[in-house]
Amino acid sequence: MTFVTKSALNITSLERAVSSPRRGAVCSFVGTVRSLHAGRRVNAVSYDCFVPLAEKELSRIAKRAQSRFPVRVAISHRIGRLKVGAASVAIAAGSVHRAEAFEACRFVIEEIKRTVPVWKKEHYAGGDGRWLPGCALHKKL
Amino acid sequence: MKRKIELYGRLRDAGLGSSLVLDLPAHTSAREALSALKPSFGPLLTGCVLASDDAVLSPNDVLPRTGRLALLPPVCGG
Repeated sequence: MTFVTKSALNITSLERAVSSPRRGAVCSFVGTVRSLHAGRRVNAVSYDCFVPLAEKELSRIAKRAQSRFPVRVAISHRIGRLKVGAASVAIAAGSVHRAEAFEACRFVIEEIKRTVPVWKKEHYAGGDGRWLPGCALHKKL
Repeated sequence: MKRKIELYGRLRDAGLGSSLVLDLPAHTSAREALSALKPSFGPLLTGCVLASDDAVLSPNDVLPRTGRLALLPPVCGG
């Protein structure tokens, strides 16, 4: 299960999607909007996204994680304007033992930051805003 | 052929809105399309790539004839 949404993220549904009686570990990662960045007070962050490619890339990341680790992975990424404290990305990984679930969550979030077409604009307390720098995309061969 | 190119992230603040239309010859490569976009974006184009709704295009890829086309700056999701 991988998707982009404008709605609040539901980590419980992701955890349920990767759980099974045979898996003894479910590890979740939730990224949230923080109130301070590079010394500036942040009121909100807007997430822009090229949705069709982002959803395909999230699916590819989940497949890569599942081929690399013995896990089941679910991912959702929120878009739109989010206030401080709101969850922007949620990942759940289920596995027989805990080590693979932790590793898979770390792998997935690092891949999201590197390859999914999402952009963040921080909105500051002073009323101004700034698009954050990022990682240039390249075609996967 | 006229192709609509969607704009994302910092490119939305270039004063061109959320998309633009380019008149390009058939069989235009991504590299040639990026060159045609240079006058509109200047240094903002650094690190940008063209993408279909299925994949990032390499410089030598010919633009797909159908489907969505987007100009994507460096990403920072999560």
